[in-house]
Amino acid sequence: MTDTVLRDDDKGYVERLMRELSDGIDKGSVPASIFGNERVYKQELRQIYGRCWVYMGHESEIPNPGDYVLRKIGEDDFIVTRDANRNVNVMLNACRHRGVQICRTDRGNTHQFRCLYHGWTFGSDGKLLGALMWKQTNGEAAKEDNGLVHAAQVGIHQGLIFATLDASAPPLKEYLGGIGWYLDLIFGLNEHGVEVIGPPQRFVIPADWKSPAENGAGDDFHLATLHRSAITLGAFPVNPIENMKGYHVQAAPGHSLSLSMAMSEDDPGPRFIGFPDELTESFNTSAISEDQLAAARMSRVIVGNVFPNLTFIALPVSEDSNKPPVAAITLRTWQPKGPDHIEVWNWFFAYKNATPEQKQRSYTAGLGTFSMAGLFEMDDSEPWMSVVKTGRSVAAELLDMKFNYQRGLPGLGIATKVESFPGPGVVYTPRYEEGVQRNLYKFYADMMLAPPGEWPDAKVAG
Amino acid sequence: MTASAMQPRDTGKEGTAAMVEETLCAFNSDLYAEVAQWLTIEAQLLDDRLERQWLETMVSRDVSYVMPMRQTTFRTEGYGFLDDMYHLQETYGSLETKVARNETGSAWAEDPPSRFRHFVSNIRAYQRSDGDFGARSALLLYRMRGDQHVPTLISGERRDILQRIDGRLKLLRREILLDHTVIAAENLAIFF
Repeated sequence: MTDTVLRDDDKGYVERLMRELSDGIDKGSVPASIFGNERVYKQELRQIYGRCWVYMGHESEIPNPGDYVLRKIGEDDFIVTRDANRNVNVMLNACRHRGVQICRTDRGNTHQFRCLYHGWTFGSDGKLLGALMWKQTNGEAAKEDNGLVHAAQVGIHQGLIFATLDASAPPLKEYLGGIGWYLDLIFGLNEHGVEVIGPPQRFVIPADWKSPAENGAGDDFHLATLHRSAITLGAFPVNPIENMKGYHVQAAPGHSLSLSMAMSEDDPGPRFIGFPDELTESFNTSAISEDQLAAARMSRVIVGNVFPNLTFIALPVSEDSNKPPVAAITLRTWQPKGPDHIEVWNWFFAYKNATPEQKQRSYTAGLGTFSMAGLFEMDDSEPWMSVVKTGRSVAAELLDMKFNYQRGLPGLGIATKVESFPGPGVVYTPRYEEGVQRNLYKFYADMMLAPPGEWPDAKVAG
Repeated sequence: MTASAMQPRDTGKEGTAAMVEETLCAFNSDLYAEVAQWLTIEAQLLDDRLERQWLETMVSRDVSYVMPMRQTTFRTEGYGFLDDMYHLQETYGSLETKVARNETGSAWAEDPPSRFRHFVSNIRAYQRSDGDFGARSALLLYRMRGDQHVPTLISGERRDILQRIDGRLKLLRREILLDHTVIAAENLAIFF
């Protein structure tokens, strides 16, 4: 179990480190010591995971009343239910009597969660329905006041369920800000919408959650280097240099994404991420605007990160050199398990009106490329594992090591700001820059320094 | 997507699961000896990283090679394996792509390579009524990388169908049933 106790002198140390980050981020300077750092981590559990909106799952995972899944906020277990009134509830997995874990299976359907200790029974909306011999033990005390503890707020965007433990957090729509427009390019392409293909794959890797989160926020460069083997095998249909055409978007404070886009009809590569034509014919403006549909059409890859730790990837891939690539949609959370470990939760999605063959092909291709046995993802944990070691090293601390996040700063590199783009946020092209990552760390520092009950007046990195 | 029923999973060929019977072979039979030998030689090829040789000499071109996902469920709901969700869902083509990946020189997950050892035990051999052979074995996979001092241990059962092709036994189907729901290995760049 992680030691999550936060001591007063630790808070001072973390605050100094965060001010260093805050002061340096606009110049592309990030202290190595924020990674794999136990003291920083304890603060993150409170200031980031205890305050921001965290992804809990998709509505299609709990379609019917009584359905539930067991998920996490930070390291803590929450039951996510669809109650009898079809509302979504997010509740701490703990009996009100003695704090015993009441839900012990990964998913199921019930309207009664019964605690194994003294038999307290809760409904799918968390209300205490009954407890053995209540009158003899608690007399006329009201059962309704003894229900499960709910997250402070629950919100849903395009079927994606989020929750926060902070009552002072802005509503979900405001929190997502501009990234909502871009999520629609993946999830809002027709009136049918998407569904999960199944429950998430889970695996543990020794990394700091910030490494994969910033990678998802718009690191396209590593395709040619880290994923060279997959490119060589034809797992991805666009040449890595050509693939750098597109846009980096700082959609809102903390939330960044990246689009590989064909810039003209003559540019190669698939349209609509590589979805089959029979499916793309059903894409329309029933849920999105003409501008959004046009942007989705020219997109080859859409990859981004909703702060803190929800990465979305839609791209054309193949698991087999002999088979042509097809579009796969994967969502994953980098769930923290200590300063130097994460559990990856990996979901695959398909459009509801895709044929069973299309869904199967998309799933097989996605699983074979973006999963713990995937041609791409197998290599991703390699660098992240060692970032943790560097971050927590005494050498990095004593030598005051700073990482270089300078790409794309004014005067550096060929990326330039795009003045008129159909979507919201600050946009650069081509994708040779790191403002998308500076945007993540800028908001991260703001949240780490924000006093309780106050939400920072945050800006994108720019 | 439902968890498996009460019975342990059947490794019948697609669509014929209900029709093929498996008869356990005596442990002192020739068939048992042949299957046990086959599994041991296979383990050695994989431990020695002779993956292409393994693929070309021991795996059928029609192979189905899967590792289903597993969840925690109550006793009455079975063993927790999912019917349509996987960690691995391989054909000959995708296995060959993975073997080729390790040959590119940029497959960082296994370059420098791990040191593996496949501990194969609890072997059972079956004669199938369609003429193929069944094999079940327990696997403990020991993996060490770099200068780690704590190994990764992955435990599970393999349920195989072996087919005799031109006199040689080849893997037609493998189902890898792990004892894990959350897998604590940073990748599955592994042949099980």
